[in-house]
Formats: sequence, structure tokens, C-alpha cells
Amino acid sequence: MAKKRKRTDAPAKAAVAEKPDDSAPERPPRTLFGFKEPAPDAEPASEAAGSAAAAPFRNKEKVLITCSRRITYRYRHLMQDILSLLPHAKKDSKVESKQSKGNALNELLELRSCSSCLFFECRKQKDLYLWMVKSPGGPSVKFLVNAVHTMEELKLTGNHLKGSRPLLTFSTNFDEQPHWMLVKEMITQIFATPKDHRKVKPFHDHVFAFSIVDGHVWFRNYQISVPHNEIDKVDKGGLDKMTLIEVGPRFCLNPIKIFGGSFGGPTWYENPFYISPNQIRALEKRQKAGKYAKKVKAKVKRKMHEMENTLEPDEFAELWKGE
Amino acid sequence: MVGLSSEEALAHDEVVMDDVDSDVEESDSEDDSGEEAQATPSDKAIYNKEAILEKLEDIAWPKNVDWRHKLTIEHDQGEKVDVNDDLARELAFYTQALDGTRQAFEKLQSMKVRFLRPTDYYAEMVKTDVHMHKIKGRLLSEKRRIEEAEERKKAREAKKIAKEVQAEKNKQRAKEKKEQIESVKKWRKQRQQGGFAKGNDDVPDLNFEGEEGFKQSKKKRPGVSPGDRSGGLAKRGKEGKNRRSRDAKFGHGGRKGLKKQNTADTTNDFRSFNKGGESQNKKRKRS
Repeated sequence: MAKKRKRTDAPAKAAVAEKPDDSAPERPPRTLFGFKEPAPDAEPASEAAGSAAAAPFRNKEKVLITCSRRITYRYRHLMQDILSLLPHAKKDSKVESKQSKGNALNELLELRSCSSCLFFECRKQKDLYLWMVKSPGGPSVKFLVNAVHTMEELKLTGNHLKGSRPLLTFSTNFDEQPHWMLVKEMITQIFATPKDHRKVKPFHDHVFAFSIVDGHVWFRNYQISVPHNEIDKVDKGGLDKMTLIEVGPRFCLNPIKIFGGSFGGPTWYENPFYISPNQIRALEKRQKAGKYAKKVKAKVKRKMHEMENTLEPDEFAELWKGE
Repeated sequence: MVGLSSEEALAHDEVVMDDVDSDVEESDSEDDSGEEAQATPSDKAIYNKEAILEKLEDIAWPKNVDWRHKLTIEHDQGEKVDVNDDLARELAFYTQALDGTRQAFEKLQSMKVRFLRPTDYYAEMVKTDVHMHKIKGRLLSEKRRIEEAEERKKAREAKKIAKEVQAEKNKQRAKEKKEQIESVKKWRKQRQQGGFAKGNDDVPDLNFEGEEGFKQSKKKRPGVSPGDRSGGLAKRGKEGKNRRSRDAKFGHGGRKGLKKQNTADTTNDFRSFNKGGESQNKKRKRS
């Protein structure tokens, strides 16, 4: 398994040193929807054959969380909320949102030895874009973030331990299309807290809900409140009495593009339904401009009409002037 | 002349409209520096499924990884959720999370691991105590507000009912009174028909006949202050004859503006402008 992880790193390091390792596990023949599995237990067998495969899987995910400069407070607070939900995340200072930000961020990721990144990019103090990136080999997904509610809102009354590991629930329509499968895998890796992380508390008291509705990924975070006396067992019938209390934050991700590399690379997916918020605003503006133009046109029309049908001079108009 | 000006106006309008359009276009081109967006689901959109699946296989965790590393649960939403219906949408998310949690807890229970927080385990929470206190305050105030509103509603209804009861009582009383009077009248008539002379019978004269018996004495003058000589008539708005005639003559109430405005007649009226001539005469006299 560790081998597999190494292979993801391999392209970045030009895959020189890993060559002997790479040759060991044979990749099964590829089909359109994944790999053809020769047998369910073939992979573990091949891994057992390798020397390093004896070591159990360890999740060493580290997430870098950062944002662009000129981010608004609401989006910054959303970022901080997510930071507090992910104990395996590191925060970095703001990054200038320029064309070359990709390179800068890649360097930063390498420096901080992070394997993934959440980059909150705020544009025009209005629109928030979220880059979800696996480093160093990619891929990266760019989302538009909508419907943001932070944890500060008093309507969200739940609370949970800082650093407890979340349960992740996904709606089944994540498995319908390849790009959603990729997004699901990335979300799992980024949002699932590593099992034996040093900051982790060993209890499960909150649950994340990711679901796709209307082509958007909706995120919710709930506290689990369940009656229990022991710590390894719920009371009898406790599962039926279980309730959830929302903790927040809330947001909604609209995927825009999927790139092959980290912060760049070939485009693999484009959302055909995506309309940029700028276009929406421009459309609104144009409609308003149309209103003005209509008014002007009506004025001109009226003038022409008056010109065509002039009133005859009133014969009594000068009756009172003489006196 | 007029035609020319209108043409100019037209030309100007066109210019204005052009300006607006070009503005919008410019802003568009500025805005879309980062992303090209499609207004309709276009066929041009790139979708490289093979590459995505290959990458997915590359980055994915091994298939046989322990579930406790991932803690993921899939949940079928059933029929499509309406995005614009907030309640339905939130309910869908809630049920997804709840079902997922139930499944996960069953799994964890079957694994015999400790996963629930003991009651005496205190540690840092995601939200601070100060914040939770604020939330509590808000919840309490909301509860209080609801209770107060309900109380007000109840009081209002009680008041309405009380009013109705009182009105009913008054009606009943008036009815009883009427009936009594009627019965006495009837009795009297019967007696007269029976041949008894009026006034000199053994029953004392109750003087119930007519309105006289029930008229309130004038001395009491209910609702009238002792100093009022009009006997309360003034308060009722009954004005004297003089007042009415004066009002008719000089007017009372209504807009003054119309009366004070100049009209053609008043402007042509020079009767009040002959004072200058007099003064000139005076000067002449002096000199």
C-alpha cells in the first residue's frame, strides 16, 4: 500500500529512484470505468509479496489551507471554520491572487510538506472560488462557493469536540459520473481526519454530509446527540432516539473545472452548466440599461408624434394681452 | 428646426445606447479573464473521462483499506430533491446524515471499539463557551418572545369574549325591563276594563304610565359639568343661531388659498393704487 502512495509521488520526482519498486505490482488491464480486477484477493497477495507492503496503511494527509489577499471577512471566517474542523490542516498567510499564484502555491505546498490544499480565492470582494488540490501530482478542482453560512451564526446551535474525527456521508449520486467520483475521493482524503493523528480525539460526535443536488455539492456539519452510558455502546433503542444538531458551517460548491496537475495542467472537465457570476451580473446590468434605453425611445417617439400632429394656434390666446 | 433637434436627439440616444453596450462588453471581457463560462449546456465543454478515471486510480487509497480510516457512508437520497424548497432540501441532508450516522454507529458497535464520548470527558470544543452562551441567550429570548405573544393573544381573546358577555347581559336587562312595563300596562288595562275607576283603586298609583315614570330627573344632569349653563348642549355641537349665521357670512373652515389667490379680475383692479397721486399732491402743497 505504501507502494501505491509512492507511485503518486513518483511523477514529481521524475521517477528515477522508484523504478525497481514500480515494476513490482503489475497494474491490471484498464477499462473505460476503472481497472479490471483479476480477482478480489489478487492485490493484497501481490502487496504481501512486496517487502514494504507488510506495513499497514497510514494516512499521512496534511492539508494546507490558505486564501487570496483581499478576502472578505465572511469568507475568511468560513476558512477558519474549516480549519477548526480539520486538525490535520495547516494555515498559511495570504497569497497574492496573480497569474503565477499556482507556482507560488506549489512551492508553498512543498515547503510545508502538505499533500493537499484548500485555497480560497476571493475575487472582486464578492465571489469565492475554492481550489481543492492534491499535491504534487494533481489533480485540482476549482469550485465556485455559494450559500455560505459560518459557524458564528446563532441559528446553528450545535457544538462538538475540536479534533474529533467526523463521519462522512455521501449521497449515492457521487458514484454516477467519473468527475463526481474523483471529487468524492478528494473530499474523502481531505476532510477525513487521519486515524492516528496526534491532535485527534478518539470519539465520534459529528458527521459531515456531502450531497449532490442540482449539480452542486452541498456541505453540512451536524453534531450527533445520542443517549449512552457506556463508551463503546449506544443505549438500547438509542439509535432511534438519535438526533442531529447542526453545527455549521454551510456551503455549496459548484464545480467549474478539473485540471490534471496541481494548480494547473490540462483541463479534464468543464462544467457545461456553469455561468460565471460576472456574466450574471452583466446580464442584470444589461437589462437595467435596456430599461433606460426604452425610456429614451419612448420620449423620442412622443416628440415625433407631437411634431406630426401640431396643435392649431388658439384664436383666444391673445385675448387678455391687450388689457 | 424642431425636426432637426429631434434628429439630433435620436442620434444622441443611439450614441448613449452604444455607450452602454460597449461598457457591458468591456466589463465582460475584463471579468472573464480567468474563466470562460457557458450560458447554456454546451457541447464544447471538455470531459476527459479516461484521464479522470486514471488519475482517480492513481490518487485513491488502496481498496482494502480499513473502513475506520475513511469513515465514509453512502446514502441514497431517493427521488430528486428540489433545490429551491429549503425545507425539503435541508430535510434530505438531515436524513442523509442521520441514516449515515446510524449505519456507522452500528458498524462501530460491532467492531467493539470505544467511540462515544464519556460524560466526564472535557476538552476544547469547536465553538467557545462565550459563543455557546450567546446561542443560549438567543434561544431563551426567542422562547420568551413566543410565550409573550401567546399570552397577548389569549388576553385579547378573553377581552373579546368579555365584551360579548357584557353586551348580552345589557340586552337581557333591557328586555326584562320592557317586559315588566308591558305586563304592568296589561294589568292596568284589564283592571280598567273590569270597571274600576282610574286613580281611586286600592292599588297605589305607581305612575308607570307613559315615559314620565322612567325619565331621569333633570336635576341630576348626567355628564354635564355644574358650571355649564347650556346644559350640555354646547358640547353636543348645537351652536347658537348667531354663530351659524356668522359662519355662513364669513366662512368657517375650508381652504384659504383659493380665496387669497389673484385672478384676472383682481390684477386688473387698480382701485387701491391711487395713493401715489395724493402724496405727490401733498408735496406740491408743501412746496
